Amino acid sequence: MLSLIKIEWLKIKKYPAFWWMLGIVALTYPSINLMFLKVYEDITKGKETGAIAKMLLGNPYAFPETWHTVAFFSSFFIILPAILVIMLVTNEYNYRTHRQNIIDGWSRKDFITSKLCDVLIVTTIITLSYTIVAIGYGSYTDSKNFYRWSEQLQYIPLFFLQTFAQLSIAFLLGYLIKKAFIALGVFLFYYLILENIAVSWFKYQVKNDIGRFFPFEASDRLIPVPAFIGNFGQDMKAGYQKALDAIPMHIGLTIVITVIIWVICYKVHSKRDL
Amino acid sequence: MQPVLSIQGISKRYGSIQALNNVSFDVPQGCVFGILGPNGSGKTTMLSIILDILQANSGNYSWFGKPGSPETRKQIGSLLETPNFYHYLSAVDNLNITKAISGRGDAADIDRVLEIVKLSARKKSKFKTYSLGMKQRLAIGAALLGNPEVLVFDEPTNGLDPVGIAEIRELIKQLSREGKTIIMASHLLDEVEKVCTHVAILKKGTLLTAGKVDEVLANEDIVEISAIDTDKLKSVLEGFSGHSHLKQDGKLFELYFPLGTARMEELNRHCFEQGVTLNQLLLKKKSLETKFFELTND
Repeated sequence: MLSLIKIEWLKIKKYPAFWWMLGIVALTYPSINLMFLKVYEDITKGKETGAIAKMLLGNPYAFPETWHTVAFFSSFFIILPAILVIMLVTNEYNYRTHRQNIIDGWSRKDFITSKLCDVLIVTTIITLSYTIVAIGYGSYTDSKNFYRWSEQLQYIPLFFLQTFAQLSIAFLLGYLIKKAFIALGVFLFYYLILENIAVSWFKYQVKNDIGRFFPFEASDRLIPVPAFIGNFGQDMKAGYQKALDAIPMHIGLTIVITVIIWVICYKVHSKRDL
Repeated sequence: MQPVLSIQGISKRYGSIQALNNVSFDVPQGCVFGILGPNGSGKTTMLSIILDILQANSGNYSWFGKPGSPETRKQIGSLLETPNFYHYLSAVDNLNITKAISGRGDAADIDRVLEIVKLSARKKSKFKTYSLGMKQRLAIGAALLGNPEVLVFDEPTNGLDPVGIAEIRELIKQLSREGKTIIMASHLLDEVEKVCTHVAILKKGTLLTAGKVDEVLANEDIVEISAIDTDKLKSVLEGFSGHSHLKQDGKLFELYFPLGTARMEELNRHCFEQGVTLNQLLLKKKSLETKFFELTND
């Protein structure tokens, strides 16, 4: 496994798209959260109304809530690492190195494991970026609350699992479709349109929650809407608590879906002509 | 001696197309083994199967007496079909990946193989900036990494200029002299005839013949004969016993005998006694090209 990671690093470290993605993530994660922080600051800047708003909302970027808030807003941008993951697998087809790696002495299983390592490497980098941004906002917005840094740390592994699960879907599409632009198009269409329509249809037309079994929806529910949005009124409070209570079930569901994705990749690769 | 590669009854089908049909042959140690065949005859399919790129529908193969595996492939330097490298990496970076996967060679060896394929001056240039010939050279360099005992080359001179072709031919001969086993697919008959010791000829997925080049080519004696009076020579030759058939190409005749039965002195005497003075009488080996067309033409 370590040797596979080393070899993948040889491929990735000089790949320009990798550094571009890292740069864009480094800009995007702080920016999106800064945008919402400004909205929060605007709402809470009045003397009387501000104090009431602060009391109702709490500070979403102070420790420990920063772990949850930054995870929620950063997860909107899964598309950035997804592009990279799709490129990393379709490049192998494009350069025909998926054949050469086998010719040179990898097993077919090694090849998929190496790609699994790629997804893990990207997920780790994304999670680190999220962690740094969350710590940064937590320290900057309310240093008095810093002593509470260790509360809600569960959002770090939850963010990791969500990112890994969603990037695994991107990998599956890239692996099966083989063409970067088509795979990316299918990913965007499914992620932004198809699954949202399907989940809403089940929710509002069929009146059931089958939508939670869909791959993106299952992993999206690992990080529910943050408390300052989800805590308004009795109904929303109940809904928020319900969403928090459902996280363990969605952890299980996300793991099952992700395992199925990788089993498909291993099985297909062991049989198909390269 | 145990063959380096043994192929038994390999068949491969793509939908309705039978790409390989029950092909079997052995590659002895230390030989230069040419796999010949027209386009679409199954040469690359055969090499792809023994390198685990394609899966055979039936049959099996073994390297060094063991079933094909990642471990056996690591001992083989291979160039299959096209040079396959990461376009955004340099020659050295690409060879570092080959080295890391195969476990063959080290940093000094990378410099050595780049020197052999004359890419030292461009070793830090990205692969995407290389010409077709340079890409092919790098692929040959990658196969040579770690000085493996067995090399598989699929059309090794593709994209090379005449000087490059001659250099690669010389390299293959040199490797052969060092005792390496080289398996080479090509449609360039002249190339195969110049360097190969053994040959297998494929047509539409069927193995037509396999063995030592001399044995494959020399299954007949061919005597080239000419004289000034062509018509008389023809009738005289038709009267000579023991030949299997006679071919005429302008003023030149080819008289075919079963292997080892051409009686040159007797033939010369026969013609002279019949009043024909020969101006050419030559026992020749069949060229690979002749044999190839003979086997592959319907």
